[in-house]
Amino acid sequence: MTSVTAETVVRTPVVAHRPWWRGKLVQVAGIVAVMYFAYRARALEYPWPDRLTWNSLPFRLDDFQTWLLDQRNAANPSFVFAVFDGFATFVGNLVGWFNQFLLWLSWVGTIAIGSGIVLRFGGWRAATWVGAAFASFALMGVWEESMQTLALMLAAVGLSLLVGIPLGIVAGLSNRVQQAITPILDAMQIVPAFAYLMPVVILFSVGPGAAVVSTMIYAIPPAVRITALGIRRVPTNTVEAAESLGSTRAQLLSKVQLPLSRRMILLSVNQTILFALSMVVIAGLIGGGGLGDVVTSGLYSNPSLAILGGVAIVVMAMALDRSTEAIANRTDPSRRHLTDALRKRLRLATLVYAAGVGLAVGLAKIFDAPAIYPDTATAQERLLRRIQSVLDYVQDPAHFVFKFTEPIGNFILVHGVQPLQELLIGTPWFVTVAGLSAMALVVSGIRPAVTTLAMLTSIGVMGMWEPAMDTFSQVLVATVLAVLIGVALGVWAAESTTVSRALRPVNDVLQTLPQLVYIIPFIYLMPVSIVPGIVAGVLYASPVVVRLVERGVRDVAPTSVEAAGAFGATRRQVLTKVKIPLAGDAIMLGVNQGIIMVLAVVVIGGLVGSGGLGYLVAQGLVRGEFGLGVVASLAILALGIALDRVTQATHRERQEGIE
Amino acid sequence: MKERGTTTKEGRMSKRVGVRLGLLLSASLAAVVGLVSSGSALGEATQSCGTVALNEQAWAGSTANTYVAKYVLEKKLGCKVKITNITEIPVFQAMADGKVDVVLEDWQHVDQYKQFVSKQKSVLIVGSNGVIGHIGWYIPKYLLKQYPQFATWKGLKGKEDVFKSPESGSQGMFLGGDPSYVQKDKELIKLLGLNFKHITVGAEPAQVARFSQLIKQKKPVIFYWYTPQYLNVELGLTEVKLPARSKGCKDDASSGGNIKQYKCAYGITIINKLVSKKFATSGSPAVKFIRNWKWTNADQNFVATQIAGKKLNPEKAAEAWVKANSAKVNAWLK
Repeated sequence: MTSVTAETVVRTPVVAHRPWWRGKLVQVAGIVAVMYFAYRARALEYPWPDRLTWNSLPFRLDDFQTWLLDQRNAANPSFVFAVFDGFATFVGNLVGWFNQFLLWLSWVGTIAIGSGIVLRFGGWRAATWVGAAFASFALMGVWEESMQTLALMLAAVGLSLLVGIPLGIVAGLSNRVQQAITPILDAMQIVPAFAYLMPVVILFSVGPGAAVVSTMIYAIPPAVRITALGIRRVPTNTVEAAESLGSTRAQLLSKVQLPLSRRMILLSVNQTILFALSMVVIAGLIGGGGLGDVVTSGLYSNPSLAILGGVAIVVMAMALDRSTEAIANRTDPSRRHLTDALRKRLRLATLVYAAGVGLAVGLAKIFDAPAIYPDTATAQERLLRRIQSVLDYVQDPAHFVFKFTEPIGNFILVHGVQPLQELLIGTPWFVTVAGLSAMALVVSGIRPAVTTLAMLTSIGVMGMWEPAMDTFSQVLVATVLAVLIGVALGVWAAESTTVSRALRPVNDVLQTLPQLVYIIPFIYLMPVSIVPGIVAGVLYASPVVVRLVERGVRDVAPTSVEAAGAFGATRRQVLTKVKIPLAGDAIMLGVNQGIIMVLAVVVIGGLVGSGGLGYLVAQGLVRGEFGLGVVASLAILALGIALDRVTQATHRERQEGIE
Repeated sequence: MKERGTTTKEGRMSKRVGVRLGLLLSASLAAVVGLVSSGSALGEATQSCGTVALNEQAWAGSTANTYVAKYVLEKKLGCKVKITNITEIPVFQAMADGKVDVVLEDWQHVDQYKQFVSKQKSVLIVGSNGVIGHIGWYIPKYLLKQYPQFATWKGLKGKEDVFKSPESGSQGMFLGGDPSYVQKDKELIKLLGLNFKHITVGAEPAQVARFSQLIKQKKPVIFYWYTPQYLNVELGLTEVKLPARSKGCKDDASSGGNIKQYKCAYGITIINKLVSKKFATSGSPAVKFIRNWKWTNADQNFVATQIAGKKLNPEKAAEAWVKANSAKVNAWLK
């Protein structure tokens, strides 16, 4: 008794102005309870009513595509098509020249020049990476394909940054721009590439040009978002100090805001590279060529070849990532302290090296380098056999691993995903719409609630209610898992350099290895629908959450940490009371991005048995049912926006607090 | 002033006419020269074949015929061959743009035929490639031995629980096909009154993973599948007979309409060869070869098994087949 009174005595003053039933968590729990009660108590099934469905929408979209095709292939097409065609041809030529140049240099020249440039501007560590990466392409017998992909990626990343960074700076400086472009960025990231491949092909034809365009659509958003976040995180007092000293806006930007957000801009370059490389396979579907083709044709007829192609993509991503980072670090103004003498020596070394490379290329040309090139065909075959034997071992159901993985998969399906699926599909539609909107109202406010309501209604109107609820249940599970894993590992990595170092290659692999490459062998281990798709979502989304959380916690101003230390806070207190709350913005961005990343692989899920919207989107592309694919993609987008609005609460509050 | 002005104008006009006439003359001359030269080019065509862009589709059968064609084009006709890997639907626009010349295995894309073949005439169908496609319900042979009644769909009735799995609960589990394939299994299950739960397992590699894992364990499994497919022999698959085809019977359930019209077995699919208009009119000797190309399900399965089953390099598998079948290849080149 006494203890209870003691507790009430302690708690009363804190809770006084906020009665317990007004806590957001309690309210949400209450809404969930009401929804569940409605689900259990329902006497009838309430699927989305046909009266409220716009059934002809997919057909309208099909008609639009036919119209566009007719216009495009007419005898005298409109000049608009000439513009698109010109752009595609320009980009295609750019990629083509670059590719030819790389092939002309032969492997000797490419390795020498590539690692030489990185050595000069980035340092030996990154140069070793680049050299090793190139050598591995040659040894894996995928040299030509790798060079094709490299040319494609350099063009795509370069153009994405050219568009993305300036846009990000503008978005960082202006709230209005930020608000205006955020939904567009969301759409670019969430709408599956499968839905826009066909329009891209109609406008840009097939080939490297079209492949670059479709890659850019996916790779620009991270460049914009992270750059904007970097500009926004420049401490207000620094900006004010510069302003009070009479800086012009241009000076403020170039001398204060940009240098101080350098690290975030670098992160955006790095993410743009990784996002672009995650599109290699999809870009291959419309003529991107290179490693994407190796993976796609391997998936159907030679899985070990698909793995080989996937590994080459990952190696390329890591080499590009490490070398751009090293080069960027060298440009750090605080680290630049070259004396004139040193500079002279460096120039001389560069000249000597360039001459050496020239000689090497010349010799390679004279002695026909491809001829002295190691016999990679047999090397590749040996490698493929080795991979295949590993695959056979792992995929053998007689093997003991299968005795564990199969029941686990079945358990997750039967006791986890299926009940949730039944719950969400079975709940009367109006209960779901009202419940989720109410949650958005409680958590985020009136405007997000209205948006949620509108989005959920539009899903129903488009005739996608049931598949959307199916997908929702899977996204829910995958997002929760990805965020849990991501936040835990991110915080840990921020505290420990060892963990951070160990996680980095893992993250790179998960973000750039084409999902189908590892998910198809995984199906052999867990042959149940849905679970492999969820695994793909979690594995794809958590690296981004890890990265953003780690960066956020790490970038907390050291002064705050020192102050807390001075007050005698323990390490744990510093972490939970200072670092995590101050990194809240970055963590919330991580959660938000986590949802988007999970949604971005919904189609991959559809390709490995998750059904729902992902399957419909895939069907839209591969069966030529354009309208269906677009409608399903819009439903994915609407679901994404609704989920974002339901969860954005603290994000919005924090932002307002900062401004 | 005015007069002079008009004269100069007229003078300019007549000059222009003269220029135009000259242009016309020279153009017609050029055309004649062009005709003559193209005529001679046709005569010499056996020497210059140019580059042929073959499109390889994602499945093993397509890899097989594409690489055999590549070998013949390169070695027998001296062409350069570029293999593209553009996916099924966008490849039609690619052909219209002249970026892809040949698709050797097209499974009847009716809507695209309407748009590109009939309306725009930018893509030509140049006959069947000889392979006859057929979709159906398949089970492993060991299961048929155990339950001989599974030879037809009627035998499945009341025995659906044999195919029960954690995923399908008390019902039998039916593994559906790749999203890119024509299907009507949900409708068939309903129309035939079978107690199956249709499970979408995704793309073909995922579907193969699912059923081959069950087959390796000698467990019961029934699924959507097709022929020609190299796995049919490798895994010992056999088809379940569905109700006979009736008049007006349809296969593609996504086209909607009365559900009753789907109550029959899948039909036979004639697999077409497609070429782009640009390629067809190029005068290259490769055109005739592509037009003549015809092989059988057995040929295709043989090469596909070498590539996908025995993991032989596609180039080598194609070379071996061409060398062993010189009579067939020579007929294509006539």
